[in-house]
Amino acid sequence: MTATLGNFLILAALLVATAGSMVGFAAGCSGTPEGLKWAQRFAYAFAALMALATIVMEAALLSHDFSVKYVSQVGSRAVPAWVTFVSLWSSLEGSILFWGFILGLYIAGTTWVNRNQHVDYMPYAIGVWLGCAAFFSFLIAGPANPFGSVSPVPLDGPGPNPLLQNHFLMIIHPPFLYLGYVGMTIPFGFASAALLRGRLGLGFLRPLRASLLLPWIFLTVAIMLGGWWAYEVLGWGGYWALDPVENATLLPWLTATAALHSAIVMERRGVLKGWTVTLVQASFLLTILGTFMTRSGVFNSVHSFTQSSIGPTILVFLAVAILFSVITLAMRIESLEAEGKLESAVSREGTFLINNLLFVLLTFTVLIGTVFPLIVEAVNGRQMSVGRPYFDAMVVPIGTALLFLLGVGPALPWGRPRRDEVKRALLFPLIGGIVLAGIGRALGVTNVWTLITLLFGGYAAWVTMAEMWLPLVQRMRRGDSFGTALVQGQLRRGRRRFGSYVVHAGMVVVIIAIAVSSTMRTSHEARLSRGQSAKIGSYDVTFIGAETLAEPHRQSTVAHFRVMSNGKFIANLAPRMNQYQMMREPIGTPDVHSTLTGDLYLSIMNVDVGTQNAGVLMITTPMVAWIWISVILMGLGGLVALISRP
Amino acid sequence: MNRTVLVIGILITAAIVALFAFSFGRDPQHINSPLVGRVAPRFALRAVGTGEVIDIESLRGKPVVLNFWATWCMPCHAEHPILQQAARALGSDVQFVGVVFGDTEENIQAFIRERGEAYPTLLDDKGKTSIAYGVGGVPETFFIDRNGKIVAKYEGPLSFEMLQTYVRKVLS
Repeated sequence: MTATLGNFLILAALLVATAGSMVGFAAGCSGTPEGLKWAQRFAYAFAALMALATIVMEAALLSHDFSVKYVSQVGSRAVPAWVTFVSLWSSLEGSILFWGFILGLYIAGTTWVNRNQHVDYMPYAIGVWLGCAAFFSFLIAGPANPFGSVSPVPLDGPGPNPLLQNHFLMIIHPPFLYLGYVGMTIPFGFASAALLRGRLGLGFLRPLRASLLLPWIFLTVAIMLGGWWAYEVLGWGGYWALDPVENATLLPWLTATAALHSAIVMERRGVLKGWTVTLVQASFLLTILGTFMTRSGVFNSVHSFTQSSIGPTILVFLAVAILFSVITLAMRIESLEAEGKLESAVSREGTFLINNLLFVLLTFTVLIGTVFPLIVEAVNGRQMSVGRPYFDAMVVPIGTALLFLLGVGPALPWGRPRRDEVKRALLFPLIGGIVLAGIGRALGVTNVWTLITLLFGGYAAWVTMAEMWLPLVQRMRRGDSFGTALVQGQLRRGRRRFGSYVVHAGMVVVIIAIAVSSTMRTSHEARLSRGQSAKIGSYDVTFIGAETLAEPHRQSTVAHFRVMSNGKFIANLAPRMNQYQMMREPIGTPDVHSTLTGDLYLSIMNVDVGTQNAGVLMITTPMVAWIWISVILMGLGGLVALISRP
Repeated sequence: MNRTVLVIGILITAAIVALFAFSFGRDPQHINSPLVGRVAPRFALRAVGTGEVIDIESLRGKPVVLNFWATWCMPCHAEHPILQQAARALGSDVQFVGVVFGDTEENIQAFIRERGEAYPTLLDDKGKTSIAYGVGGVPETFFIDRNGKIVAKYEGPLSFEMLQTYVRKVLS
């Protein structure tokens, strides 16, 4: 019954999305208001059907209805209810259904917000969105159908992927990632509509920018949460393993960031229209590429779903989407002609242009590093991997250059600034850079790239603070109180500008924290018997003992450690190894004592409860917490910019 | 129509499709062992229970299925009955040998008492043999032909069908 109902809803969604897409395109061509109305109705209907299908699946999961194929694959009576709830996105078929649900929300929400606006563009946009929706409905109805029925009905199931059960971040990281990935469909639809319409007016730039900013915020948070999860779970003390799927999440983020900046130049100067549209389209295409990487079974990754049959279907969709983008671009790129021009390279818009080129270069660098092993294997059959040395050699210089622009760009005036203006704008912030690099040197930073990062980071921080402060000062000079200036100048009128600088502040913090934490970590491995201690930095780590804990869904071996520093108690830490029935290897859960200055990270390498011996990896890493703090800054800054006035 | 954009775009699409289409069916977890095609590294290990020392050289003349496992490894528990069944069915043509590392003799004996043993289990108590075979995790299984040459390596728990496929390969 549940399976039949689910299948009916999905087939109806497929029908509605296909019909709606055709109606949207037809309405775009004919320009009839009635056509747009119908396209809107189809958009709402698709969202409703997807929401209902998702509710049906959640109900099946929570009621342990093992007659439904997906429930029999990921359900288990032994796991807690919250694990059962999040099982929706724990495996391939459920996660695609979740994708369809989010896509429905995005399409319906955007259609509703713009229901009486941009009537020239909206039919095409809805046509494109529902075209994508039709593809995902087809995927859910066919190759990745979670609503198959099982006979005879099993009494219990194996439970979801153990990695999902191992840490609470796995509950929130995937939804944020989907909100980021799926959300890129919306600006893609807007950009395609602009191309199909053959014009991109400033009025339409606002929904385009907003629709790009929202998934960008989600993607930013998702990337950080993913790093945090890797740090808290994988046990090697790092947060970015250059895993192909991690890289895949970064690719659309890079192009979307570039597009957000080029959109500003377009708004100010009327240039870079075709370029902005291309970047927006690329961001969407890279999310589909990332989806392919995760679900095709072609890449080896901690995130990969097992080899599945949907890889070829996604590849076909990717090819169709690229061809659609290429053809629309080729047809109309010349009609998106520049209305203005760049007056000087040494200006804010000049640095935006360089920033864009660097972001695109970084995208290609990461993309090539990720797919290069496939290329080599395809050409000569040799297996190889591209690792940290390549990415360090390529990404660090480009990232440093971007940090430099993060300072210099906002410091420079728009247009054609005079030489003395440029000098004045660029010289003062040097104080910030020199001070921060000096502090870093005094605290023991010796790595040249880290010192350069501190120099540019201090410079960018100075500029960012000055730019945030400027409207306040101007208002206060006019007689406003600090409170009024803050509320009126920053949070009411200058929200977008203020939000952008908060994001910049977060970016400065995260780049500095990554540079410092990745070059200044220390680690020490020790084999300890009960009562023995080992030293790392100023910490004395004593092994108190180990125990085995049995839970219905896993068996854990927990090692207890007491951490002291200079004779003072700091913390009790309890890293553990969790063994799940379906995993070949146990999953470690390190324990971390985190402070604003640095973390002490303990991970068990091996432990014997019988003899009370433990092998422990101890790592101290400065500034890691700032990476997680910066995500709050970037997320909030993005939200403030999103809700800005036109 | 901007032909440059069109041509570049079509070329990019074709390259992406060709590359990924070629990669389908490739198992990204699979890493070719440098030992495949070479003579199996020599070892002489004591069998659990009997104490008899078994030398790999002494098994020449008959294909060998060499399975590395441990009692603490959950997938090895799932694989155990499959190997036992296969050893009983194919034992006349192929010699099955288990090698346990990172474990104790008591644990292994308790495991065997409970679940049965159809072929010798050797204890690699210093882990040297496992290192010589480049074992990265358990279970891992090597298929060695009658001349002592490694024909294939499999990582992870074997299904009965998979095991039969590899045994056919080693027999041919």
